[in-house]
Amino acid sequence: MRVIDNLKAIPAMQKYRYFLIALSSIAFLGPLAFLPQLVGNDDLCGVLCMRRFYLYFPGMSWDDLFMHITVAWIGVIAFCLILLTTFFFGRIWCGYLCPVGGLAELGSRMLNDRWKIEFRSLPQVQIRYSYLAAYIVLMPALGISACTLCNFITIPRLIEALSGEYRGIVYILSTVGLVNLGLLFLLGFFASKGRAYCQFLCPIGAADGLVNKLGSKFRWARRIRVEKERCTGCNICARNCMCGAIKMVNRVPVVEQTSCMSCHECVDVCAWNAIEWTTGPRDKQPRKIKRGVEIFPEPSWQLLSEPDMLENNVVPARIHWGRLVNGLIFSSVIGYIAYYSLLM
Amino acid sequence: MHYTSFFRYFLAVLFCYYALSIVVAEPRKPDPDGCLTCHSLPGLQWIDEQGMWRVATINQDHYYSSLHGSVPCRDCHRKITDYPHKVENGYVDCSESCHVEEPSEGEAFTHKPMMEEYDESAHGQGWYKDFAGGNRLKELDESRSPSCRFCHDNAAYIAADKAELFKESFAHSDMECGKCHVGEVWMTQMGGHILRRFIGNRMNKNDSNAICLDCHNDPEFLKDIELEDPDSGEKHQPDNRWLNAGESYQRMLHSRLLVVGVEDGASCIDCHAPNGLHHKILRDEDEASTTHPDNLPETCSASGCHGYSKIPENHDFTMTDMHDVDLLSMSLLTSKELQEHLDSIWSKLSILILPIIIIMTIGSVIWAFTGKNRGLIMAILGGEHFQVYMAGKKPSAKKGAKSGKETKRAPRQRTSTTSRPTNNKPPADATSENPPKNPEPDPSTGSKQHAENSSESSEPQENPTDTQGSDNA
Repeated sequence: MRVIDNLKAIPAMQKYRYFLIALSSIAFLGPLAFLPQLVGNDDLCGVLCMRRFYLYFPGMSWDDLFMHITVAWIGVIAFCLILLTTFFFGRIWCGYLCPVGGLAELGSRMLNDRWKIEFRSLPQVQIRYSYLAAYIVLMPALGISACTLCNFITIPRLIEALSGEYRGIVYILSTVGLVNLGLLFLLGFFASKGRAYCQFLCPIGAADGLVNKLGSKFRWARRIRVEKERCTGCNICARNCMCGAIKMVNRVPVVEQTSCMSCHECVDVCAWNAIEWTTGPRDKQPRKIKRGVEIFPEPSWQLLSEPDMLENNVVPARIHWGRLVNGLIFSSVIGYIAYYSLLM
Repeated sequence: MHYTSFFRYFLAVLFCYYALSIVVAEPRKPDPDGCLTCHSLPGLQWIDEQGMWRVATINQDHYYSSLHGSVPCRDCHRKITDYPHKVENGYVDCSESCHVEEPSEGEAFTHKPMMEEYDESAHGQGWYKDFAGGNRLKELDESRSPSCRFCHDNAAYIAADKAELFKESFAHSDMECGKCHVGEVWMTQMGGHILRRFIGNRMNKNDSNAICLDCHNDPEFLKDIELEDPDSGEKHQPDNRWLNAGESYQRMLHSRLLVVGVEDGASCIDCHAPNGLHHKILRDEDEASTTHPDNLPETCSASGCHGYSKIPENHDFTMTDMHDVDLLSMSLLTSKELQEHLDSIWSKLSILILPIIIIMTIGSVIWAFTGKNRGLIMAILGGEHFQVYMAGKKPSAKKGAKSGKETKRAPRQRTSTTSRPTNNKPPADATSENPPKNPEPDPSTGSKQHAENSSESSEPQENPTDTQGSDNA
């Protein structure tokens, strides 16, 4: 039985993670949805919306922002809680709890690995933050509703439709609903490891990634860290990383902290214990030097970046088109906000 | 002896009470015309020409204890002069003046301003006069324009659950209202009426929405209406956007907030009749309408909602379609509208996405029966790219692919899977004594790697390192 063998081969930690995702799907979505119902809501819209309150409109005042926040105050609190846990422990919400990305991932993992689209090798950081900038600044000004491409509507509605609820069926049959469903298939079920939407389009994930990066500056923050002395360069972590956060540079995995969801799968598949979800080592200085050899009591759990692993720490001189585009978009966004908030 | 005297005494007291009650609490005589002689009879009911069961019985006790208990019937039902009277003569004209006088100016209260506002609105088609009587079925047959009582039920009494609140507020009204509105008339007459409106009949946003949606969420009911163009006066059939306005409204955040009890949402009249007495609802095309594109910045920024919408750069934001047909189920659309629908950006997007999904689905199904699930399985789209740029087979993969063609039928190197990677990667790395980075960026092993990759890339399943890890599908 191939299916059972495959199931048995799943590392224990990942089984636990899938179980958590399934559990939170029951709690957040569909006919039960009992967590949203605690606040009188039956889906993740309205007061629970986490995707709208930070939209920027030209000439927006603090009162307007406050209005956005009071309208969706439970969503704002949830959003802040997510960022807070991310700061200390990594993107736990995204990897372990989020029913929206989680369902897409579980769906994708039930399919074979061959008939998939590999999004993980695209320049995801650039694409993600360009889209986030456009989402926050450009789309509101153009009058594109933030709700139209909302993953937090699509998945609950899909579950509703599957359970035969009228509202869900109507949504799935509408043009907007069909496009969203298409995106779910394209960037979810038929994406390799099923997390492409999270990696490219989810604004919550993008903000979460920034906090993840910020927290990784601190030694006591739990992150996926690498002991490069132990690494054999077998690249199994990179191939199993669902976010495409791990890139092999000079045969050592480099974890891109804005993308990493701390899902722990790289740790589970590594046969050499060369990668771990942990805090940084306490001692940076060698505890002992014996015959000229520095001896460290702990593994040097490092947060490597790409230039670290390149020869002579020098990135080869070439134009990073992605960074260029990103920089252009960001500078124009900041200029735009500055112009309409400060000068008008 | 003293029993009888006590009894007499008791009777005397009782009589006094009775006399006192007649003098002090003499019942009001609100029926000088004797209407209740007949109308208080139980069973004063009949079935009219449209087959509706009409009840004309008035519960005397209820009526006397109501707010209008002291008002004679003919104050409102003015056309009735004789007995028996015609049914039509019983109708009340809402635009007529009332028995109540507005104390500061001494004018009789009237609903005339509402009527005038309503007359100009999209709904005002002259049916407002049938407030009290008339047949609802007949009204439905002859017009789709709502009369006053279509929305305002005008219950004569304060609902039981609000009576306590009313009494309490009425008792304290001299404290709150009475500081400015001094005088007996204010306190007794006008105050009571205003309080009754505030408490007994106060509508929140959900209540008022329910009234609008009663019709506007019912396309079957609406589809016979002919809409009139405000400029040219041409009449035309309503489109689906108009017919399903209630449905599409309920998809949007404005409604979703109200449904869960957050008053920050926007009700129908918050946008369509925010000013005045909330009766002047006009078509979007009408330039006086609050939902006309020119007036939207003002409307959206009203009542502290979207304050930034007045800024010209947010013009597109105010033009966001609040009744978007794209949010409606396609089963609601006619075939002609579906054709128009195919021009929308969403349809074009789905035309892009759908073929990929179909191909992927077919491929997955075939793979489920024929695919071999061992070794390295790469994604069919972009898998190679991933191997090169993420999994670190950078320098050799492309060359390997070329040389792989030449050595396509090269014998498979089925060496032992465990020994090769350890040979390949210097084991010294793991327990290295020399901390500097990249001790030797494999000048020797690199070439070895190259040679291996050249044979591997033609047969990617053969990558030996894959088999030892659990490549869970």
